[in-house]
Amino acid sequence: MSAQADQLSATFSALADPTRRAILARLAKGQASVTELAQPFDMTMPAISKHLKVLERAGLVERGREAQWRPVRLDAGPLKDVDDWVERYRRFWEQSLDRLDTYLRELQKGDKRNARRK
Amino acid sequence: MPVGNSAATTTFTQTSDRELEVSRWFDAPRELVWEAMTKPEHVRNWWGPRGTSLTVCEIDLRVGGKWRFALASPEGDVTFFGKYLEIDEPARVVNTEHYDVPELRDHPAMVTMTLTEKDGRTFYQVNEIFEAAEHLQGAVASGMEGGWRETLDRLNDLVKTL
Repeated sequence: MSAQADQLSATFSALADPTRRAILARLAKGQASVTELAQPFDMTMPAISKHLKVLERAGLVERGREAQWRPVRLDAGPLKDVDDWVERYRRFWEQSLDRLDTYLRELQKGDKRNARRK
Repeated sequence: MPVGNSAATTTFTQTSDRELEVSRWFDAPRELVWEAMTKPEHVRNWWGPRGTSLTVCEIDLRVGGKWRFALASPEGDVTFFGKYLEIDEPARVVNTEHYDVPELRDHPAMVTMTLTEKDGRTFYQVNEIFEAAEHLQGAVASGMEGGWRETLDRLNDLVKTL
């Protein structure tokens, strides 16, 4: 598996969990402490820390070292990679098939003119 | 086959950790869709995202025959190639598909395209099976809960807030 696919795989596994997605959505608004992140969830601190470790391994968050409360920050890089890949694939097919649809209509107009339609 | 809908939309489904399905209805008889999908002079008119064009479009439509498409891109041509394994005109084609990038060149996907006609309209369906989950790249997460599309929709929402 290439390093890129490996990274993408780690990102996707990390995103598969609703709690982790909620943590990321919260961090999109700005950095937070682990205590702050735990607040909206009915979860123990160790459970939240476990989710954060998964996100950290996937490169989606980083922990600050400067302050004692070690703020958690979002790292959007891997998210953009996933988004880019998926969007490229989807765009490719959506746009190709839209073009085919238009082209088929043009062909059928041509067929009518030539009275070749069944 | 989903119920025909006059609003033409392309549907994507991840059917397993290494399998994708793309489908769509076309307001055209099956023979015409088949022509448009298998003849280079037609394929050149639609294959690839808007604004792109094919620099190579070779189709040798017979069992064992090869195909090769190259799309012009600012970073150089992007090439896709493969071999036809089954042909059942105008209903079905099975072929291999190699995406010519270092990670995927030697790992073809198996592509089955089927066309079904109903009331003069055609249902197009492509099933793409990759050799291994990692070759599906974006769809690699096995054990993903809540489904592929849901995760992607949430991901898209999330990315928009960044």
